[in-house]
Amino acid sequence: MPSSPEPLSLEPRLDVRLASLLGAGDFLPSLVDALGSPLNVLLPDQIAENAARFRAAYGTHRLGGQVYFAHKANRSSALLRRLAATDAAVDVASLGELQHALGAGFVPDRIMATGPKNREFLWLAARTGVTVHADSAGELDELAALVRAHQLARIRVLVRLSAFDGPGVKVLTRPSRFGTPAGELDPLLKTVERHADVLELTGVGYHLDTTSAEEKARALEGCVRALDVCRGRGLRPRAVDIGGGFGVNYLAHAAQWERYTSELTAAVLGHRPPLTWRGHGYGLRNDAGTLRGALGLYPAHRPVAGARYLDELLALPAASFGGRSLATLLLENLYDLYTEPGRALVDQCGLVLARVLEVRRTDGGEPLVRLAMKADDAGLEEHGVLMDPVLLGRDGTRAVAGDGPAAGVYLAGSLCLEADLITRRMVFLPRLPRPGELLAFVNTAGYCMDFQTSRAQHQPVARKVAAWQEDGSWRWCLDEQYWPITRPGGEP
Amino acid sequence: MRYESITEAIGNTPLVRIDPAVHGLRHIDLYAKLELLNPFGSVKDRAAWNMARPGLAAAAEHGSQVVELSSGNTAKALAVIAGMHGLPFKSVTNRMRIPEIKDLLLLLGADIEELPGQSECLDPTNTEDPLTLFHRELSEPGSSYLHTDQYFNPRNTEAHATGTGPEIVKDLDGRAPDWFVACVGTAGSSTGVARVLREHDPRVQVVGLVAAKSDFIPGIRTLDEVHEVGLFDPATYDTVESVTSDEAIEGMLTLARRCGILAGPTGGAAYFGTVRHLRSLEARLTEDQQTDPGVRRSAVFIVCDRIESYLSYTRRRRPDLFRLPPRRNDPADLTDAEVAAAPAVDTPDAQKWIERDRPLVVDLRSPFAYAALHIEGAINIVDELFDELVRGGLPFSTRQPVLLVCPVGEQSARYAALLTRMGHPDVRSLTGGVIAWRDAGAPLVRD
Repeated sequence: MPSSPEPLSLEPRLDVRLASLLGAGDFLPSLVDALGSPLNVLLPDQIAENAARFRAAYGTHRLGGQVYFAHKANRSSALLRRLAATDAAVDVASLGELQHALGAGFVPDRIMATGPKNREFLWLAARTGVTVHADSAGELDELAALVRAHQLARIRVLVRLSAFDGPGVKVLTRPSRFGTPAGELDPLLKTVERHADVLELTGVGYHLDTTSAEEKARALEGCVRALDVCRGRGLRPRAVDIGGGFGVNYLAHAAQWERYTSELTAAVLGHRPPLTWRGHGYGLRNDAGTLRGALGLYPAHRPVAGARYLDELLALPAASFGGRSLATLLLENLYDLYTEPGRALVDQCGLVLARVLEVRRTDGGEPLVRLAMKADDAGLEEHGVLMDPVLLGRDGTRAVAGDGPAAGVYLAGSLCLEADLITRRMVFLPRLPRPGELLAFVNTAGYCMDFQTSRAQHQPVARKVAAWQEDGSWRWCLDEQYWPITRPGGEP
Repeated sequence: MRYESITEAIGNTPLVRIDPAVHGLRHIDLYAKLELLNPFGSVKDRAAWNMARPGLAAAAEHGSQVVELSSGNTAKALAVIAGMHGLPFKSVTNRMRIPEIKDLLLLLGADIEELPGQSECLDPTNTEDPLTLFHRELSEPGSSYLHTDQYFNPRNTEAHATGTGPEIVKDLDGRAPDWFVACVGTAGSSTGVARVLREHDPRVQVVGLVAAKSDFIPGIRTLDEVHEVGLFDPATYDTVESVTSDEAIEGMLTLARRCGILAGPTGGAAYFGTVRHLRSLEARLTEDQQTDPGVRRSAVFIVCDRIESYLSYTRRRRPDLFRLPPRRNDPADLTDAEVAAAPAVDTPDAQKWIERDRPLVVDLRSPFAYAALHIEGAINIVDELFDELVRGGLPFSTRQPVLLVCPVGEQSARYAALLTRMGHPDVRSLTGGVIAWRDAGAPLVRD
């Protein structure tokens, strides 16, 4: 029997489009019948809507600039092509992503090359004239040499800064391997000036791995100070790139998340039966009755995420500039805002479907559900995202509470490895699944869908399809076949 | 009362009865232990002094820095104590969300280091949380720190077992109260006091109050967070209940307005939680009264600190409490039609106008932005200041034409409309603001 007396559900948040897709009868089962399990389904129209929300947050604060989709969050062509038909831009972190973006219809003005770069990547960026977000003085030297050697046009660059110091209290920001410390701005600018004939500095940026808006505010202020130094030296930069990390709210109910994490704490301390495979603590541990460690999970319920997080960040006071808002600081200093949302821009943009192969009980009596997928096909565990999958019957009917006794089950993958569990958390379903039925892992388009996926053991990698609504019903095509113009009523 | 040192004034705080007309409990005498009257302002003075005292001489000899993980009152007390002994003090925390306390600590000479926020991109290989790193730094060879370690130091609890607890018993004429209620932060005061009271009377009921999960009351932990505290032992409490920040502020207002006790939100939470808990028991007490008339019960709660530091905390949650009088010449009073009708001029015409009539160009942006780039000859009156100025009347002669400039021409339009309404005959707003000016290729200077 399930070891939990009552289900500790973590119901996923479903916006209108995803909810409608899950209610579309035998549409999803017939796709899996045709294309196999696992299967990735993407909703390109959703990314356009998300981009518009970010643009609206810019509008609220009267800011100009660009929203760059962090391509690494998902490999889909449909998402990229749909985005190309909006006014958003894309940031690419590899040669392959740059080729993909150019091929999807993004002109160089709407592409930024970022992340660690090899020579081929730098050359194609310089060749096509996309903006390069440089990590270090060494990268600027390499880029300048390429531009000169191949007699390419002068190229726009941003420089990524890190380790910002500010007045007031010291903030112990997690060290990053990216960017140049703000304290070393002078040698960095000397490099820019030395290559003034081939490099045009158009801005500075940062990328911080934190959910703390205060830390980001401090970095943004540091960027404005750095840009002022640039202006003082005769450079003409005009953008601050604040990177991504706006977050996604994965869960429908705050109370479920709060209750779950409390119960997990109690389980780690031994006050209740385990909620996880072999008592895994997700980073927490019991040290003689005192809780130690830190919860290594994505904060799955976030009341403020995505475009709203950006809105709130921009409204924060710029403490070292007299307390006017960050948006005002940018606006008054005539700077454009660049953002690089990845996860937040593909929020609600897709799901991963998997067929149930077998349901049995472990030695401990807990139901173990084996799926036709591997853990890396929906990297929920890898990214610390906890939420329950949605159970679809063979006819596509979504199982709901009351269909049977609720079931706490463990989900196992198809690899011949003890560790191949889709999630180490016991997930809660409205009833026990049956072989042949589908589990839908929703809202996985950001990092969880194909970031980790492999062909280990010659297991198939999920096929990808794009789905959209037309005249009240759902249509689909293979991801690589999707173009925004193939849809009547789409954008011109 | 004459003392040689301010630290002698720590402790011996009053126990004050709360008027039954305020709390409405018929069978219980309710007392507040006024820890806010400690010299540095809170209950933490006791623990800070007791924890730091044994190490001070050695620390002074080695020039050690006093360090603590604290977001508020412990840091405040330690900063003062360290300063009195010529030692530097550092507080490490990611919970310091009260700006007044942060400023006060800086004023007292403390170093503050903030721990980073939660990671957005999970790194499964990163097993070291910031606190582990902090403890490692403390124990590095050659490092010289006096770490008071309030969450694990038994001298924290001891300060209350030898001070706060016995004082309560003494002031109740040698008896323990029937109920003792305390908010749980480090668990030091509740654990120390509970131990002493139970020694006097094992029947005493101890109520621990925590903050509702995902809510924030300064100095109180949530139900999950208390487990991270080494001093926290669930067996100390007969019951643990949660309080919301709204309830804490409600309690704070009652104590301040009706009892004259200027308690902070933690004291407010303690009062609210106490009365709520005891009210639910009143029916049973009424029955007891019938069998044993004349029996009175007593309860004590702790008022941890003072109200003054929490004005911005309260303002954010209850703006209604800070009502402001109506203001004259407020741009907010303008109608959309008035703003739309504000006299405006675009960049090419503005350039000609400046050439011809030399209007006063007023740049409403911040001094930093103005210093970076502005229209030649413009003066800078930042909008907040301009707001103050116009409240008193027109700040320029009506014979002087004025061009108002802001980033995108929105604020300047409001002020142009306002000044027009106030009687200025020739004030105009730069359409599209300084951004449109720049985009039109008009010159900006940095001087």
